[in-house]
Amino acid sequence: MSFFHRHRGLTPYLLLAPGTAFLAVFFVVPLGFLAYQSLESGNIDFGYAFTWSWSNYGNAFRDYHAQFVRSLEYAGIATLLALVISYPVAYWIAFRGGRWKNLLLLFIVAPFFVTYLIRTLAWETILSDNGFVVHALQHLHALGSGGRLLATSTAVVTGITYNFLPFMALPLYVSLEQIDHSLIEAAEDLYASKLHAFLRVTLPLSLPGVVAGTLLTFIPAAGDFINAQLLGSPENHMIGNVIQSKFLELTDYPAAAAMSFILMAGILVAVAVYARAVGTEQLTGTAV
Amino acid sequence: MTDQLTRRELLQRAAAGSAALTLPGLLAACGGSSKAGAGSTVSHKLAKTLHFSNWTLYIDTNNKTHSHPSLVEFQKKYGVHVDYVEDINDNASFFGKIQGALSRGQSVSRDIIVLTDNDRYLSLMIKKGWAEKLDKSAIPNMKNLVDVQKHPNFDPNRDYSLPWQSGMTGIAYNDTLTEPVLSVAELLENPKLKGKVTCLNSMGDALTCVMLANGDDPTKVTDKSFNAAFNRIKRAVDSKQIRQFTGNDYAPLLARGDLAAAMSWSGDIAQIGNKHIHWNVPKDGGALWTDNMLIPNGGNIYTASVYMNYVYDPKVQGLMEAGDPKRNITGIYYIPPVVGAGAWAKKYDPTVAKNPLIFPTKKMLDSVKIFDAKALNNQKYLTQWQNLISA
Amino acid sequence: MSSIAVDQQAGRRPAAAALAFVRRHILTVYSVLFFAYLLLPIAVVVVFSFNNPTGKFNYTWQGFTWDNWHYWDGVPGIRSAIILSLEIALVASLVATALGTLIALALVRYGFRGRATTNILIFLPLSTPEIVLGASLLTLFLNVAWVPFGFWTILIAHIMFCISFAVVTVKARLVGFDRHLEEAAMDLGANEWTTFQKVTLPLTAPAILAALLLCFAISIDDFVVTYFNSGSQVTFPLFVWGAARIGAPPQVNVIGTAIFVVAVAAMLGNVILQRRREVRA
Repeated sequence: MSFFHRHRGLTPYLLLAPGTAFLAVFFVVPLGFLAYQSLESGNIDFGYAFTWSWSNYGNAFRDYHAQFVRSLEYAGIATLLALVISYPVAYWIAFRGGRWKNLLLLFIVAPFFVTYLIRTLAWETILSDNGFVVHALQHLHALGSGGRLLATSTAVVTGITYNFLPFMALPLYVSLEQIDHSLIEAAEDLYASKLHAFLRVTLPLSLPGVVAGTLLTFIPAAGDFINAQLLGSPENHMIGNVIQSKFLELTDYPAAAAMSFILMAGILVAVAVYARAVGTEQLTGTAV
Repeated sequence: MTDQLTRRELLQRAAAGSAALTLPGLLAACGGSSKAGAGSTVSHKLAKTLHFSNWTLYIDTNNKTHSHPSLVEFQKKYGVHVDYVEDINDNASFFGKIQGALSRGQSVSRDIIVLTDNDRYLSLMIKKGWAEKLDKSAIPNMKNLVDVQKHPNFDPNRDYSLPWQSGMTGIAYNDTLTEPVLSVAELLENPKLKGKVTCLNSMGDALTCVMLANGDDPTKVTDKSFNAAFNRIKRAVDSKQIRQFTGNDYAPLLARGDLAAAMSWSGDIAQIGNKHIHWNVPKDGGALWTDNMLIPNGGNIYTASVYMNYVYDPKVQGLMEAGDPKRNITGIYYIPPVVGAGAWAKKYDPTVAKNPLIFPTKKMLDSVKIFDAKALNNQKYLTQWQNLISA
Repeated sequence: MSSIAVDQQAGRRPAAAALAFVRRHILTVYSVLFFAYLLLPIAVVVVFSFNNPTGKFNYTWQGFTWDNWHYWDGVPGIRSAIILSLEIALVASLVATALGTLIALALVRYGFRGRATTNILIFLPLSTPEIVLGASLLTLFLNVAWVPFGFWTILIAHIMFCISFAVVTVKARLVGFDRHLEEAAMDLGANEWTTFQKVTLPLTAPAILAALLLCFAISIDDFVVTYFNSGSQVTFPLFVWGAARIGAPPQVNVIGTAIFVVAVAAMLGNVILQRRREVRA
């Protein structure tokens, strides 16, 4: 392995090479096609031509900024909810899971084995207007007497949260499981209460997991369309739905492409702001 | 994704290797060229395999042997194996998937596909020359096509397409939750149904029904009639009368009582298994939609045509339609386009032949209309519609 | 252990004992509730796999039957669909996790030119809407047509969007990794490869396993990108979407339940095996 000692500078590139080469061919090149398309104009009847049509971007933003904002909003709320809901469980599995850890992790991703449509149909059954959940909520006056849960923004956000829970829980677990318990014990030996030890030792050490989970949840959730389509009314639709309809029904490929880039830019900006807030080392890792 | 080969694309193809370039050559050799000119002779040789893409659960099925009896019989009779793939579940997404290849003049490796006529894609495929002309000399049974389907506005001489099955769009309601909902006016404006009603997200279906309720003609759409129908639906959305726009995902909501009524397709209701759910053609008329078989560019014209001929035999169609409970065969249960299929269907399963959703009465057939294909491709209308259902 | 200290204190004050009990178990109670919430739809799916619907729709309970389990592949196409999905999910998750782990190592451990670019390259696939991602990849396959449509194109697509998930998940572990352990190993004479094998890898294993699980789940559930790049092949999600148009048959529930049960059984078997090993040791 002395080869690597001498060629230390080469090692990172060798590690990166297979994965990034794969992505370069099968992601960056398609993205290039997409970029090219976003500057085209035309229609399905007479074809499309490259015309440096920057107006695609302007129009997209002008016409659909409401959906852009709504998407970031729904994704943000869903991410926060997922974080709050998953953190205690990830902690529990990491610290108390023992030999059952892997099994519990499996349970977290288990819903994905039954395909999205089936588990959403199951939720529709559970949250049905005539189901016990809605009745209970009406009883508790959390819902009006004619109220419903389906086809509302609540349903959409809940759907997104539920479907992205594993993306938050698993990275959290990964980071929590690594924490050296002797650090926590040391804190407690120094008369910190359990809560204090958690806040000053565990939480900061789990921050890489929090960051990872947040990214893996927020970023794809912002582009989601299916939850809004099945669980929402037209006023709950997200930018993913608009892009979908531009592409499929309106065959307006340039518009769909331009919107996708605007969405990606918006997400990257949000991520950059987030990175600033948590400190970039959490995001990119320190090179020791 | 331009239609004509740009120089850049040509260079890319050349650089990529001979594979891409020889594809059209291979196809020409197989007798189905990518852009068959009018008058080119079609080889009368059957291919070994017929690649047939269809919607899911849209053909007769033997549940014990997992096979499709009509396809098995076809193979026995003609020696052609049918590679039957159920990968179409939505016109828009299927078109989105194949348009990339078709716009580049490439084959999509399918001989027959099935698209619906009240969506823009069927007429679009024909308009853009992405569908092959049928070999009518191989389809003498075309004479069995029902009259109402003989001259549709998107294919006046039936040069490119033949119906597979038809269905109707109307209103379904749950009798435990509401009085009978028999008209579009009730669906959209009865305050007792507020928030418990859905409309279809398909422009062709929704507008046909509403235009008829407005007294307009959906087969010849004008800006005025479009706006009248559009605004009527929009009012129902703004007043929260309409809860959601759906594809066929209204079915579970209806079955569970989350909806009192829904604009819906006839076949689904026959299968919903809940005797409290009733389906009717609306008082002022409903929509007739037909899934049509097409041969996409690169498909084997002769073999596909022979298959279509086979399917238009009333005896075959009768079995496909009704199934055969004695042999554990489930039928399609939509409206067959073949004259005489009814008589055969009655032989196989008498109950099915009496089902008006599969063999509609003349009164029903007279009151359902096919939407104007030109309007389906009107970008202005489409954009307005999409903005409504995806506010 | 600190809990002893707590217990000692609790012994002196019964109220504190009660509080300590609650605090001890509230996390467990919460977690149980969480899993109940998470798996509630699965329960519904399992129950409805025994449903005997009169029509084609499986939405309301109509009677119990074993038939669906007996004729689990009674719906043509369902068997090949699930087998294809499982094959692809397995291979894609393994490859994506392997490639992703390498990238994560590079990103966390080394300073090099292009770190920021690499990070952006990892985030971009996550942020690209599926429909344009699928369509653009299809454009690639059409323009440079040397990949046969079907298994290979789907596999490539799945690896492509799973790599990012693997990278971010493994990175979360590596960021907090204690390098002193590796340094200690090397001080004790291990070379880099042995250190990697005996120290780094085992300590990173939980993250790699988590990445594998995540990638597997994503792959087996993907619809949009798969649809565009599947040629004429049908994966399980594609099958379900198609079937749902007419009414997803109960066999779909059967298969979902079966996968879940098999996976749980495999994990349980692993746990039991480990226990035996520990007892013997």
